[in-house]
Amino acid sequence: MSSTVVIYSEDVDYIKTGIASTKGKTIVISPREVRLGDENHVINEIDEQLIAEYIARLKPDLVLTGSSKRDKTVAGLTAGLLRVPIIPDVIELSENKAKRVVYSGMAIAELEFSYPIVITLVKKNTDIRENPDCKIIKADLSGNSKVKVVEEKHKEGGSIDLSSAQIIVSVGRGVGSKENVKYAEELANALGGAVGGSRPVTAELGWLPEDRQIGLSGTKVKPKLYIALGISGQPQHLAGIKDSKIIVAVNKDKNAPIVENADYTIIGDVIEFCKVFAQKVKGI
Amino acid sequence: MSSVIALFKIVPDDTLIRITQTGLDLNVPYKISTYDKNAIEEAVRMKEKYSLKAMGITAGVTDRKSIREALAMGLDEVVAIEMREMDIQTTAENIAEQVKGLSPKLIIGGETTTDSSGGVFIPYLASLLNYPIITYVKSLTLIEDKVRAERNLTSFTQTVESELPAIVSVVGEINTPRIPGVKQILESQKKPVKTINSTAIPKVKITAITPYTIQRKKVVIEGKMDEAVDKLLQYLKGEGVL
Ligand SMILES: Cc1cc2nc3c(=O)[nH]c(=O)nc-3n(C[C@H](O)[C@H](O)[C@H](O)COP(=O)(O)OP(=O)(O)OC[C@H]3O[C@@H](n4cnc5c(N)ncnc54)[C@H](O)[C@@H]3O)c2cc1C
Repeated sequence: MSSTVVIYSEDVDYIKTGIASTKGKTIVISPREVRLGDENHVINEIDEQLIAEYIARLKPDLVLTGSSKRDKTVAGLTAGLLRVPIIPDVIELSENKAKRVVYSGMAIAELEFSYPIVITLVKKNTDIRENPDCKIIKADLSGNSKVKVVEEKHKEGGSIDLSSAQIIVSVGRGVGSKENVKYAEELANALGGAVGGSRPVTAELGWLPEDRQIGLSGTKVKPKLYIALGISGQPQHLAGIKDSKIIVAVNKDKNAPIVENADYTIIGDVIEFCKVFAQKVKGI
Repeated sequence: MSSVIALFKIVPDDTLIRITQTGLDLNVPYKISTYDKNAIEEAVRMKEKYSLKAMGITAGVTDRKSIREALAMGLDEVVAIEMREMDIQTTAENIAEQVKGLSPKLIIGGETTTDSSGGVFIPYLASLLNYPIITYVKSLTLIEDKVRAERNLTSFTQTVESELPAIVSVVGEINTPRIPGVKQILESQKKPVKTINSTAIPKVKITAITPYTIQRKKVVIEGKMDEAVDKLLQYLKGEGVL
């Protein structure tokens, strides 16, 4: 039986993850030419509803998408149009089984499914190269867009990709104020790492841009060194850092859950730690 | 009178779930999933602002206490679909069926739930209803027969417009859910709850749920910061990460 596999994402790393997760012929749909898969259909705009309609018209047996917010919207719409099951945020996929994180990061569910299906994948590092024989097709997203974009505001300074950072200095509410974030930044600079944060610090308090959020509803990271500064270690935060090689925590509370989930915890004040640590690292 | 519908899921309280020797202890009280409370709050604000009827639909566990809380927050009526087993598809199909009889102006759900955290349910439902969809909404207004919304797409924001009826998913920052007072709680007892039983069989089966834990070294370093950092540096060099 020949099957049609469609892979869609606005982010090429997800497309590569998709290719690494499947065998056989694939149609890749992307907003930029990526030369991956057997065919690469290049779309001219990201209109979630029109993309879903386009994918559904290909009558796929398997649709793999990324897990960015817009990717997931496309995935849900596509599954609804096809009236097939959908499994989001899959961390492991094999034949008719999938694994995903549930209960706010506290558990892994194993699922069994049948085809056709739509699956959104969690990003993995892969070693997928361009396919020189890939057939490039300009995709015409015809149809009436139901949702009109009036305005788009992009944040200054561009975004950084925490998912591939090797060292991450991450700040939580315990850092105390927006001004104090600079101590973490100085430490990150000294270590050659990137700065991330917990949800309160990013999405709620605005001490860091929102794309720095690490955790269940933010980026999942896998650095060799993760330093959690004033982060209590709630399951939703831990869900994003479990693949780190070494976790260091600094917390004034010896009973904070992060202590049980870190390799090394210094009990003390985060600002003092940042100053002393940065000084010593510079001196190495 | 036209209506606004809030969708909410009742879930085991994520702040009380514990990992024990034998697995995950899910035997904890129920609650309305965190961002679904924001959806209810937004629907009630729509009701107050545009004189709409505010309906609620919940599917899955139909815990009375949680449904009462939704009504006390200001919903006028709740349709509760009891489902023993559910996946995204069967849930969306059951809810779509109920929506059809109500012909709302707007449907509001949360971006994800705390038990499953998928973020694809509202889009799925949008396709079944053939409604325009706006996900990850952080502010919402109705302008005549249109909805205008600001979307939080993490690295950027987007302001969009669509015709009604439409369906949206909201993020936590859109509002602060109200805490109902005694009067509202008493009133909620008189509000109608329609219960429906669904026997739909999900196509996606859960075969196992296991705690997600990674064993860590759990070394605690106390004492003067200067010495503590020295110790840490030694450990980190030993690990080969510095
Ligand atoms: C659906 C859902 C999704 C979520 N997704 C995410 C997510 O993706 N990422 C995420 O991070 N959270 C997420 N959360 C939120 C999560 O539940 C926690 O609320 C959050 O992680 C707590 O952030 P925190 O550790 O920075 O703050 P807190 O829990 O307030 O912890 C602050 C810590 O700092 C310590 N501290 C205070 N002062 C000092 C000092 N001077 N020196 C040293 N230590 C100090 C305290 O002892 C405490 O342990 C989500 C929640 C929900 C409901």
